[in-house]
Amino acid sequence: MEEFHNGNEGSFNQEEVDNSIKECIESVVGGDDYSQSLVNKWTAGIVERCLTQLVKQGKPYKYIVTCAVMQKTGAGLHTANSCYWDTTMDGSCTVRWENRTMYCVVSVFAVAIA
Amino acid sequence: MDDYQTEEETAFIVEEVSKIIKESVEAAIGGNAYQHSRVNQWSTSVVEQCLSQLSKLGKPFKYIVTCIIMQKNGAGLQTASTCFWDNSTDGSCAVRWENKSMYCIVSVFGLAI
Repeated sequence: MEEFHNGNEGSFNQEEVDNSIKECIESVVGGDDYSQSLVNKWTAGIVERCLTQLVKQGKPYKYIVTCAVMQKTGAGLHTANSCYWDTTMDGSCTVRWENRTMYCVVSVFAVAIA
Repeated sequence: MDDYQTEEETAFIVEEVSKIIKESVEAAIGGNAYQHSRVNQWSTSVVEQCLSQLSKLGKPFKYIVTCIIMQKNGAGLQTASTCFWDNSTDGSCAVRWENKSMYCIVSVFGLAI
């Protein structure tokens, strides 16, 4: 029982990260319309915020956060990820968000430090 | 001299990875026009091919490969990524490819074990 508990503390908590990402996106672009001049600032803001939140958790992980913001014009967009890592310790989480004028896809990859 | 060789074998070489990415994309979608029904298969094929070529390098790295395929119709797309890792051993490489009907952006992140 105790061992199982210890194992969980050092592992990737997908739900927690999912909520954290949604909050970061909302706080940076929630309520805004797509704007070419601001989008650069937005994507940078989203990844930085997500990363800061993740690092605060103090877990022994390296993180990679990616964000794509696309204007809604009817174009098709498809994303795919593939990872070569330790499936027992490492994990990822992808969040898809949208509003009236844009889509935002954020992915977080967490890789355990040996 | 010996030490230098060892470092080469265990470092993330951007040029080498960039070449692997370009070849994988060309092989998977070069010459094709954007097709909604096939794009799922294409993006999967691009990341899988990249990953298998990377793991063949035999370096002590964990890899993350991401691929975005977007139809060309005037929409604006912006991507960003940030990493919390060991600057001296880890690295990343992003390649932007396009043809007449679509854009393909592939990013590879390599983390030293």
